Amino acid sequence: MNRFLSSAAVLAACFFFLACDKGELEEPIGNAPLLNFPKDFPDPVYTGGDLPLTAASIELGKRLFFDPILSVDSSISCGACHAQVHAFADHSKALSTGVKGRIGTRNAPGLANLAWYPSFMHDGGINHLEVLPLAPITAEFEMDEDINVLLDKLRRHETYPAKFSKAFPSKEISSKTLFVALAHFQMSLISDQSKFDRVQRGQEAFSDLEARGFEVFTANCASCHEPPLFTDFSFSNNGLSVQYQDAGRALITQNTADSALFKVPSLRNAQLTYPYMHDGSIYSLSSVLDHYISGVQEHRNLDPRMREVNISADDKEAVLAFIKTLTDYQFISNPKHAEP
Amino acid sequence: MNKLFFKATLVLGIALLFAACTKETEAPVAKATTGSVNLEFEYEWGASAAPFSLHQNLVHPMTGDTLMFHKFKQYISNIRFIKPDGTGYEVPESYYILDADNAESLEIGIENVPSGDYTALEIVFGVDSTRNVSGAQEGALDPANGMFWSWNSGYIMVMAEGMSPNASNGTFAFHLGGFSGENSVVIKRNLSFHNGEVLTTNPNATPTVHLMLNPASMFHSYGSVSTGANMHMPGPKARMMAVDYHGAARVDHIHP
Repeated sequence: MNRFLSSAAVLAACFFFLACDKGELEEPIGNAPLLNFPKDFPDPVYTGGDLPLTAASIELGKRLFFDPILSVDSSISCGACHAQVHAFADHSKALSTGVKGRIGTRNAPGLANLAWYPSFMHDGGINHLEVLPLAPITAEFEMDEDINVLLDKLRRHETYPAKFSKAFPSKEISSKTLFVALAHFQMSLISDQSKFDRVQRGQEAFSDLEARGFEVFTANCASCHEPPLFTDFSFSNNGLSVQYQDAGRALITQNTADSALFKVPSLRNAQLTYPYMHDGSIYSLSSVLDHYISGVQEHRNLDPRMREVNISADDKEAVLAFIKTLTDYQFISNPKHAEP
Repeated sequence: MNKLFFKATLVLGIALLFAACTKETEAPVAKATTGSVNLEFEYEWGASAAPFSLHQNLVHPMTGDTLMFHKFKQYISNIRFIKPDGTGYEVPESYYILDADNAESLEIGIENVPSGDYTALEIVFGVDSTRNVSGAQEGALDPANGMFWSWNSGYIMVMAEGMSPNASNGTFAFHLGGFSGENSVVIKRNLSFHNGEVLTTNPNATPTVHLMLNPASMFHSYGSVSTGANMHMPGPKARMMAVDYHGAARVDHIHP
């Protein structure tokens, strides 16, 4: 009898939890252990949206990311200008080439840790990871495709319908499922296995030069390129020139005080994402440092922090050595991120 | 002792089960009835309420511009039926594109409106800011509908395109967008019914609210398209056009 009562009580308790777990328990971040959000990063901004993040949705996103079907003449994929060997930046190109040889106006940045980004593009004009692909897919000098034509191509494709239903059972192929799949793949591009990360986690030590570089970096660069993501996501003018062709952030805000401001880029994998700046106008990391040491121009919207950079010739080598500790070789060789 | 303890646990467990889940076991109250309402949108041109249609030359009564619209679309959202005491019924997920080129889009059937007497209609002209920053959306809010800016995320709340000999290159395209700050083109309006008209909803009737939209009003403060015939970003002029256009929307009459 006791035994019966005891199991009934346990059953009742179980029932209690089963019946109510949806509303009562907090869902784990990212709604799956599929992705390991680094414990030493802040909470991500994007955790997968309202469709479940699954191995199938990430896999579908990867197929789409590397498939030139996204472009008007099936010549260009996202991966064409966002190559894994370059930490998903372009192949050493200042400005990328879109369909029909058309050249863009800004440098294709590396892609990593996008789940932490509050906005996208050099001017921050895109406010959500899911709607990001609409810009490169439809831009004339990138893929120049009509979103409805693309959806038709996917619906009539030999293998995509099955891949979409596997990723999103009971959902049709739509802009929503297309965008969410691409977002799920892109959020899976987490770079947190650089030497810097291992040093922070006590698994490895900096060389003396790197350690000195980290000190100098912290004093001169980290207020914008704030660890652990190595950007504070703000918009800043870094004095590339006194005049800009590109109004940058002001294109979005319509505010002249934002003219020629661009998003502070992350320095993770910077060694691989050359050339640098919004327009790809500086080719090497060494020249980038030269710019901050002695090349800053007095633009009217110049970020005052640019005037405070004080790095000696010896320290420049140290900073370069430190920045190279941000290269994540596991990230650029991870088969999960590789072109299928 | 053991027995008692287990009995207590069992009772407690069951009590907790019910306490925690009362929502699902709520006793049904007297069943409230609902009815349907049709919203019918119609266009008019200028203060004289001249007829408006696409692909036809229209002379603007104030600017004198000759305008031929090829496209005229807009978003409305967050529809609420309001009672005299200020309470009301908010239609869930009410997002619509009104398209002058698609008669069906101008007739919106709304179901499950609680039975009652309503004296006003609240409409958000445009899409509320939340949905502009929430990623991929479906239905009327699907970016594939072509009313979404790719490079500056957000909905195009009003899209007016066409031809005009008064425009410098012969065409005009006004895309009104922007959902935040002082230049937001999203405008909530409370449209009261005239002369004490009442919208009565119940299971046996489907009343219709006739609303009028006036594209000419877009140009009231903006002026002639000769001063600029293209708008593709948020700003004070987009705001000005939206305030004038949405301000002119009105309820014409109600069919019981």
